[in-house]
Amino acid sequence: MSRIAPLPLAEIDDPELRALIARGEALGVPDGLFGRILARVPGHAKPLLRALIQSHETGNVDHKLKEIIRIQLARFAGDDYFARLRSTRARAAGLTEAEIEAGCGDYEDAGCFTEAEKCALRYADQMYLDPAKVDAAFYDELKRHYSEPQIMELGAFIAFHYGMQMFMRTLAAKPLAQG
Amino acid sequence: MRSASAKRQGLDEERLDEGITSYATSARFSAAEKLALRYCELMATDPDAIDDAFYDALRQHYDEAEIVELGAFIGFNIGYHTFFGTLKFYPMFSPDGRLVSQEESARLYGAAPASLQATESA
Repeated sequence: MSRIAPLPLAEIDDPELRALIARGEALGVPDGLFGRILARVPGHAKPLLRALIQSHETGNVDHKLKEIIRIQLARFAGDDYFARLRSTRARAAGLTEAEIEAGCGDYEDAGCFTEAEKCALRYADQMYLDPAKVDAAFYDELKRHYSEPQIMELGAFIAFHYGMQMFMRTLAAKPLAQG
Repeated sequence: MRSASAKRQGLDEERLDEGITSYATSARFSAAEKLALRYCELMATDPDAIDDAFYDALRQHYDEAEIVELGAFIGFNIGYHTFFGTLKFYPMFSPDGRLVSQEESARLYGAAPASLQATESA
């Protein structure tokens, strides 16, 4: 059980907040737990859930790649909750556990990622491990594979998910399905 | 960059610096404020130290809604400030409120903000 208990759904009256929680559950990330913990502060819960859901549902970077990045970051953050959740959309698009493992491990030599994908995985990998390496030369390399809007999408995705994962790590939270 | 609303509420640079560099021993912060500042510091540097006992200590000063507000705020800022740091951009306005170029802003605010220097030397 999380160190901050989620609100029972019956105690959440705001229809918009309930809809956002349901939308997250349908996407698989987050399950109901994250939204029901945030629901203790509805004014924060709604923009944070909206941002998280939009990071999944919108954008011009491959969703499967972003899902691998999200799990790679959760493992680096030590957050069991987000690391165990899976995007239903990424699964439906064919993302396998083997690809996730490859992306979270030695992705440079895994043989299943393009140079562009490896560059994006390195972006996430280095952002919190060694941000000094994410320098002007690194952004030049990113620009060879991605447009500036795509780089902003990737960077904001990495920053947002890592931040929420660090918070959830401290709560020792687990996915609802795994208790 | 500084929050205009925090400034209006009386937050000055001296208190800000003390909150970053020496809050634990400072007489300017209450026990509740020190604990919130420690929550932030530990989430970034030693999240394993934020255990059941730490959350129990937080509950002595804050209700669960306030703890979630603090925790999500801290996580959000940890995530984004590192990203922003890699983009090497600087505030649009000078300390006296002039709209300045990024080159001038870099000269005014320096390659590494004072707050980051304090964190690195702590």
